[in-house]
Amino acid sequence: MQSVSSWGGQKIMFNYYRIFFISWLAIVLPIAALADTVCFDCHKKEAFSGKVVHQPLANGQCSACHNPHVAHFKGLLEQEGSALCFSCHAKEQVAFKQGMVHQPVRSGQCLVCHVAHASSREGLLKDPLSAACFGCHTKLPAKFQYTHTPYAQGQCYSCHLPHQSVFGQLLKDEPDKVCLSCHKSQDLQKGHLNYPGTLRDCLSCHNPHGSSRKGIVRDVLHAPFAQGCKECHDKGEIQGSTQSCLRCHEAVATGMFTRHSHLTGKGENKCVSCHSPHAGNEKNLLKGSQLQVCRGCHTDTIARYENKLYRHPKAKEGSCTNCHEVHGSNRIAMLRADGNAICTRCHETQGKFTHPVGEKVVDVRTGLMVTCITCHLPMGSDFKYELIYSGSKDLCIQCHKRY
Amino acid sequence: MSISEGVSMKYVKNMLSQSALLAVSIFMVATTSMAAEPWAWKATLDGTGSGRVIDMPTALYIDAERQRYYVVDSGGNRLVSFSKEGNFLLAFTAEEKLQIPYDMIRDNADVIWVVERGRNSLTSINIKAKEILPHIIKDGQKALVPDRLDYKDGIIYVLDKQTGQIALLGSDLTVKNWISCAECPSGIVDFKLTNDGIWALDQLDKKVVQLGADGKLIRQFDIGQKVEFPVSLAIGPAGYVYVLDRHAADIDVFDAQGSFKYTFLTKGWQRGALYYPIEILFDPWGGLCVVEEGNGRVEVFGR
Repeated sequence: MQSVSSWGGQKIMFNYYRIFFISWLAIVLPIAALADTVCFDCHKKEAFSGKVVHQPLANGQCSACHNPHVAHFKGLLEQEGSALCFSCHAKEQVAFKQGMVHQPVRSGQCLVCHVAHASSREGLLKDPLSAACFGCHTKLPAKFQYTHTPYAQGQCYSCHLPHQSVFGQLLKDEPDKVCLSCHKSQDLQKGHLNYPGTLRDCLSCHNPHGSSRKGIVRDVLHAPFAQGCKECHDKGEIQGSTQSCLRCHEAVATGMFTRHSHLTGKGENKCVSCHSPHAGNEKNLLKGSQLQVCRGCHTDTIARYENKLYRHPKAKEGSCTNCHEVHGSNRIAMLRADGNAICTRCHETQGKFTHPVGEKVVDVRTGLMVTCITCHLPMGSDFKYELIYSGSKDLCIQCHKRY
Repeated sequence: MSISEGVSMKYVKNMLSQSALLAVSIFMVATTSMAAEPWAWKATLDGTGSGRVIDMPTALYIDAERQRYYVVDSGGNRLVSFSKEGNFLLAFTAEEKLQIPYDMIRDNADVIWVVERGRNSLTSINIKAKEILPHIIKDGQKALVPDRLDYKDGIIYVLDKQTGQIALLGSDLTVKNWISCAECPSGIVDFKLTNDGIWALDQLDKKVVQLGADGKLIRQFDIGQKVEFPVSLAIGPAGYVYVLDRHAADIDVFDAQGSFKYTFLTKGWQRGALYYPIEILFDPWGGLCVVEEGNGRVEVFGR
């Protein structure tokens, strides 16, 4: 049991702590405020002002991101890249991992589009919206002969989301729904009087950015489509089958009877997983760029390699078909040739003098032939020359254990 | 009840309760140690014994009755058999006639059925009759593209790569029925027959489904959070679902309700590591077999 005197002693102690705490706050808070405003004694405040100011800066909390004394990262930042942003924007960190994620977001490079302190634009955007997009998407022309109005006005957000989406090409919704969000269904029906079945799959014929054809119909028409619909939709089929394509494209059919083929995808017609049956932007009538089409299924592969330090130039530019067959192949990863022949098409010298490769050289780990890709991973690696392991030691001792 | 009877009853009760406690303890220790036991490399089935490497194996068939493994050497156009201990037995080339074999089964009449990608056929090999017959399987006018195979109760189950559906073939090779998965929009890429139906894998939608023998959906679950590029699945003795990830080169394990349990194995070329694995299945001797197309071998793991 506590004595009255001891209880009284505790009360005195409590009051003492309270007085100490209040005094501490009275001293520390103004110093903390001063600590941040003191930054502007040297750094010109005008350089940090604008229509939209980042909240910590507006509150004078420079130390939310910067350490005034010493830090690991440039700009005396406490953390690097998106890790710093996500230390406050925690909700976004979770959301930005879902579905298809915009490459700069995936790479943690928020400052590709945003500025950290102040901007004249909403969302602390670095540049006007279209300039921000075209800054990276340099292959997109500024305008077409016939340009879709939102594209012409630089309103990329009309159709796309900037960070992530569950839909391909970072679309806001399913492609047809995006179109119908502006275009009235009744008006569209009037313009497609002979369309077999319910009007759908707008992007199969139209380029949503623009084209050299009226109605922004894609530039290259599939020959049977140019002649009418009956060639493929002869039996009242809406989609047609894979066979309906292979009837004409016999060489592709042969390619399908291989160990690995792209006879895959949703729906009965597997060809339309990658190709538009009606119109395209180039002669192969692909539904997008090679990288976009391949990413449709191989999201994991592209995500795994795109941030590697060393990448083969063709992989970097998204030219997948330079090394991979598109319809079918008897080789692993659907390569166009074996692990030596595929590389020596361009790297002739390395094919002649290098570490021994070929049928007579055996990988002691597996008993299989040593090829270029025994040591190199052209898709991407963190080691120079796209080596699978560090070339200084780790790679060699995989086989040469005595060394 | 006399005092002596009461004492003896108490003694018996104590003995029983102690025995029960001991039994429970032993069971718990045993099950705990079983659950904690990691998968370890047990054997490798490769081409060493045949004098030629196995080149891009794509499937394994296990004959429980004969206690043999049959590796489909897709690049070598042959079927290579091994004892259950993993010793090489025979390399069968079918008179050099096979064209890119992809999968195989053996039926009750001892006929070997091989999917041949090179001629898009389901080829029957009757060894006793020395007869090799390629068959193009058709349903009406439509030719199937045979992919994975299984066999049960006189029915050949053929996965049609073109539709992602499973065709049920009778002995006359006509399609008796189709098993399609409405919940798998991108179609099935692998399936396993079990006593309670069919487990199937939808690769692009990253989904596992359990269908009844009649093809009706029993359950389904998403695996996309854990698996990058699923290529094959197998059902373990405890009912867990093992999913083989070709690109991550590992195996992700889920319980039958779809709760993720653990991941094991890694990418590599050394013994016990995986490179471009293509099929996974359990043998009747407790082994977990992984067909590695990239490393030209089948590795058997055990606990």
